[in-house]
Amino acid sequence: MKSLTLTKLSKTYFDPYSGTRVEAIHDVSFEVAAGEFVSVVGPSGCGKTTILNMIAGFLPHSGGEILVGGKPVKGPGPDRGVVFQSFALFPWKTVLDYVAFGPKMRGIARAERERIAREYLAIAGLSEAVGRFPSELSGGMQQRVGVVRALANDPDVLLMDEPFASVDAQTRMTLQEELTRIWAQKRSTVLFITHDVGEAVFLADRVVVLSKGRVLEEIAVALPRPRKWDDVNKDPEFQRLSAHVLEKVRAA
Amino acid sequence: MTWLLKTWGAYVRLTTRFPVVATLTPFVPVVALWTLVAQLQLFPKAFFPSPLDVWRSFLDLTWKGILPDYLQDSVVRLAFGAAWGMALGIPLGLLIGMNRLAYRALWPVLLFLQAIGDIAWLPILVIWFGYGLVTMTFVIVYTVLFPVVLNTVLGVRSVPPVLQRAAQSLGAGRWSVVWEVVLPGALPNIITGLRNGLGYGWRALIAAEIIVGTSGIGFLMFDARRAGSVVEIFLGMIILGVLWYIVDSWVLAPIERATGQRWGLVTR
Repeated sequence: MKSLTLTKLSKTYFDPYSGTRVEAIHDVSFEVAAGEFVSVVGPSGCGKTTILNMIAGFLPHSGGEILVGGKPVKGPGPDRGVVFQSFALFPWKTVLDYVAFGPKMRGIARAERERIAREYLAIAGLSEAVGRFPSELSGGMQQRVGVVRALANDPDVLLMDEPFASVDAQTRMTLQEELTRIWAQKRSTVLFITHDVGEAVFLADRVVVLSKGRVLEEIAVALPRPRKWDDVNKDPEFQRLSAHVLEKVRAA
Repeated sequence: MTWLLKTWGAYVRLTTRFPVVATLTPFVPVVALWTLVAQLQLFPKAFFPSPLDVWRSFLDLTWKGILPDYLQDSVVRLAFGAAWGMALGIPLGLLIGMNRLAYRALWPVLLFLQAIGDIAWLPILVIWFGYGLVTMTFVIVYTVLFPVVLNTVLGVRSVPPVLQRAAQSLGAGRWSVVWEVVLPGALPNIITGLRNGLGYGWRALIAAEIIVGTSGIGFLMFDARRAGSVVEIFLGMIILGVLWYIVDSWVLAPIERATGQRWGLVTR
């Protein structure tokens, strides 16, 4: 578990059609402390996924610095676990093999990595699904596997890119509650990207509002944990924070 | 009408118990028509033998040991050529599919060479290597290679990039990404390429045997023409069809069922 620091991060693309440089991200600086859960929320096209892809090392950044535990990021690596919006499961691996994939890449022997995988799958209530292929799972179960896979590799930082955007509303609420529960057990450092204001506030210790490639505001969320939608929905503090963040996002 | 339904029901039960019945039944009217045409003597018997004549010829040639020998020669040549075609084609396809530079350098050459059909190589191959195994192997490898390469490239391109990213962020290095993500993702296409390649290779082999062969099913048919034995030509044709069916249903289809279909990448 380590901290994540972004300092004056920027990203410019060269647009070959117009022949100009397009600045997607300008001077973004914020920090996620070790063991902290931070949501980044913003309208479509504000650059939030670009930021995540740069932290994950999938895209090079044009300027500034990304530090994980004080070390600069150079390319993708297992210290930063990623949960994708499109799940990104391997169709040819069973749930067990898939969750054990990270440990396998670290050179852990089969018996031990399968023990790790089973332990994490049990936490997410997926013990029944170990032998199944992704095509045999529902969307909600697929993304549970996606989250478990990232956690089982014990990353320093967990990066989540709108992970619950493509599951139905009921499943989404269940997954959000499960995530807070699992996070309370494992206490990893999490950066959670979303366009859903309620989700951002419900999950996080702090919400970063992003607009047109800049940080607009950072808002602390001091709601008690563990959080359940039935309670949080009625909480006036949650309603006040959500309304405030929504206002910022809509003005963005 | 009920007896029709009952007969149909009995047939369906029979085919689920013995799948071979479902394979053979469509040939019943074909063979019946053939028998009828032969019996009516629409063509002279020497030009159009009956199924029974071909069956007798099959037993005769099997008894003499000619057919098993020739069959073995053809199958071994095909297997040998196909193995080399895969061993060269799959890595080449992976390289071209994953590396931009390799794609730019090799793709035009590949398309150019693909256009020169397998048999079009025979004149020069016969001069270089003579009438022998080298020439025939070259032709089969050449024929199998292109469908395998082209389909492997297609397969590599069809693997969603996000899967490679997922593997990388779980700590997979370059080779692990190839082995764990790119290769299995491309496998359904590779099998399609192999299926096409073997089909073309089988035809090329027969052509090569006719022209340069001293044994094999193609040679059997061409030799029979010289001797004016229409029965043996018919036999050779039937063996080609049966053998391909066996390769397809005993080798290729099971691989497909165990991979792409099992993973939900290919619909049944």
